[in-house]
Amino acid sequence: MSDDIQDDPPKGATSRRALMLGAVGASAIVSIRPALAQTAASVVTCEIPVPDPGRAGTYIAADGSLVPPGTAGAFAPAGKAFKGEDVKVALGGGQLPGTSYEQSRAYTNYIRRLQSGTSGFTCFASLQMPRG
Amino acid sequence: MSDRLYRMARPEDLRVAHLDSFMAVYHRSSGITHLITAPAPEILATLGEAGMTFRALRDTLGSEYELGDLDDAALAARLDELVAAGLVSII
Repeated sequence: MSDDIQDDPPKGATSRRALMLGAVGASAIVSIRPALAQTAASVVTCEIPVPDPGRAGTYIAADGSLVPPGTAGAFAPAGKAFKGEDVKVALGGGQLPGTSYEQSRAYTNYIRRLQSGTSGFTCFASLQMPRG
Repeated sequence: MSDRLYRMARPEDLRVAHLDSFMAVYHRSSGITHLITAPAPEILATLGEAGMTFRALRDTLGSEYELGDLDDAALAARLDELVAAGLVSII
């Protein structure tokens, strides 16, 4: 499919096709950049709060779901938001700073379950974007 | 500018779809889709993977197409756009 460009315009035709180069100030290209791609540059500095400030106080269960405070086996909210860079390491199997192994896993599971509209989602989504 | 070689991005880096008067070109390495219209597809096809100089491009376009407005500045502007988009590289 990608070689379509090569094949498209007929070459060396006996009747030459008309072609306009356009004015200097004109443009023949419109670029569509996914909104998320624009955040890619700030991946290192973006932050993900655990949990979302709208759910402040809730605990985070091992599977990443939010549960009432004090639930057995669940972890208290993280004291501060995690940096995108740290989350990237955690998503790759590493551990979030200042957390125990189990706690990091629960927080990372929470982050994996982030959905659009939740604080930190854009940061998380940026981390998932393949970089060119 | 005259000695520089302009070359189309590698075909494996592009995914192309024809949309009536437009061509949608998805550039894998940047994740950006470009909607391009004449003369951009013709310039890409003419440059090809081998690439050519500005002068050769101008001459080839001139022999293959009935150029209504052959103008070096306009062609340079079109080429600069393609370079900025990553669809053409300068080697």
